[in-house]
Amino acid sequence: MSEELRVSPIETRGVAGKKRYAMVVDTRRCIGCMACQVACKAEYDTPLGVNRTWVPYKVVGTYPNVKKQFLPRLCNHCDDPPCVRNCPVDATYKVEDGGFVLQRYERCIGCRSCMAACPYNARFMLPAHRTYSSITRVVDKCTFCFHRVTQNLVPACVQTCVGRSRVFGDLNDPTSEVSWLVTRNATQVLRPEEGTKPHVFYIGADRNQTEFGRDAYSKPEVMEPERSAFKRHFKI
Amino acid sequence: MGDYVWFHDVSWHASYAIYFFVIGILAGLSFLSYGSWITPALRPLREKAAYLSLLLLAVGGLLLVADLSQPLRFLNTLNPAYLNFSSPLAWGALNIVAFGVASVLYILELRKGQDSARGKMLALVSALLALGLPIYTGYDLTVHQSRPVWNTPVIPVLFVALAIASGSAVGSLLSGGNAAAQKVLREYMLWSTAGVGVILISILGTTSYGGTAQELTFMILTTGTMGLIFIGGGILLGTAAPVAILFLAHMRQQATATMLMLSALLILLGSAALRYVLLMGPQHLQTLY
Ligand code: SF4
Ligand code: SF4
Repeated sequence: MSEELRVSPIETRGVAGKKRYAMVVDTRRCIGCMACQVACKAEYDTPLGVNRTWVPYKVVGTYPNVKKQFLPRLCNHCDDPPCVRNCPVDATYKVEDGGFVLQRYERCIGCRSCMAACPYNARFMLPAHRTYSSITRVVDKCTFCFHRVTQNLVPACVQTCVGRSRVFGDLNDPTSEVSWLVTRNATQVLRPEEGTKPHVFYIGADRNQTEFGRDAYSKPEVMEPERSAFKRHFKI
Repeated sequence: MGDYVWFHDVSWHASYAIYFFVIGILAGLSFLSYGSWITPALRPLREKAAYLSLLLLAVGGLLLVADLSQPLRFLNTLNPAYLNFSSPLAWGALNIVAFGVASVLYILELRKGQDSARGKMLALVSALLALGLPIYTGYDLTVHQSRPVWNTPVIPVLFVALAIASGSAVGSLLSGGNAAAQKVLREYMLWSTAGVGVILISILGTTSYGGTAQELTFMILTTGTMGLIFIGGGILLGTAAPVAILFLAHMRQQATATMLMLSALLILLGSAALRYVLLMGPQHLQTLY
């Protein structure tokens, strides 16, 4: 079954002996504390203004029936990642065992093709100045905490998630918690029509957040002052 | 109300649109220089077009390199151990270098001052490599299938049409009072700009009929400041107006110098506006996802 569904040779779905790491985000359990965002910032010294993971929210419904809907976001470590296809110098690549999509910082030329290719805005340009790290002016993104996972730890965001909304594991292992969650629950991935085959699965994601809302039309004008104020103080 | 949206930056900034514009003109000029070996009326343009196209390549190349966040690492794009051929940018880097080499050889041949078979062959090679430039820049956008407008397969064709139009416009400005050359260039400008118009209509039509992202992008492209640049500068002033003027000249089989110069300037204005809008407009929506 899995074999039949594999359409691109880069995919790791059901490949025997290969790990296929995935994250399940149960939005019903997310309380919007943003601890994952902070843990990620601490883990990587991610500079001001850019994020490897972020938790946008939307207020949905009509008073008095309203709620805040959270949608934790990160790189989907797509099984068929367009960012990898588009990098002219192989500075972004997919690790075959595990499916991590990673960066070669010393090779990246900063052409931003991968940023343009990613349908999820998961990539960003590192600014010229950072506090602790010397890696600057290249594209960066979430690594699924490659350095932790290869030491048998879960990613920093999963470790810190107070609601146990984020769960991490190997989808090719039928006994893993993520396999169980994906099998037993109706899950969604973001923008499935793009054919990226994401490895971040959501339970209970709200359509108001997973799709482009009509109100997006007016947002660029509204957000422009904030965006330009940010740029004035922050050289990217 | 009360929503928290993380804002993302656009991937490619306006400097890339200037690069598209410059590369289009240089490709068009290269076509004209080769055309002069086939159409005698274009003969006075041969050297001028070749020199200017090489000069613009230097300008475009510098713009492209300066736009990288690691400019000196542009050499990585020429390292065979690094090149990833599924990326149009890798092909583009090779295309630019090959065009530069062919252009220099062609100019060296032109400097000998005689019409040689080698010169004609180098003109053809340069023109074919120049054709690759608007095509690869078009693919640069088209491969990003998640972006409305960019993902339409006609973008490389549109960029070729824009290259012919803007190259002919610059050729027309260069050839001054030469009536024979102007007559040929007038026809090139007319039919390539008309082609641009047809492609724009098809892009706008399919975009407005698409899903939510397409519809919203259509709205972003056609209203506000972006709409003014696109509809006003790109379509009405830069495409419809020169087509009308040049069609009038075509029907009457004569055109005044003012008509030609005005058309050429409008085509250049339109081609710059279209490059800007087609690059920046479709990126707006995604910054909010
Ligand atoms: S989410 Fe974006 S950056 Fe991450 S693998 Fe997919 S396309 Fe690449
Ligand atoms: S910005 Fe860096 S990682 Fe991204 S496509 Fe360009 S070279 Fe590759």
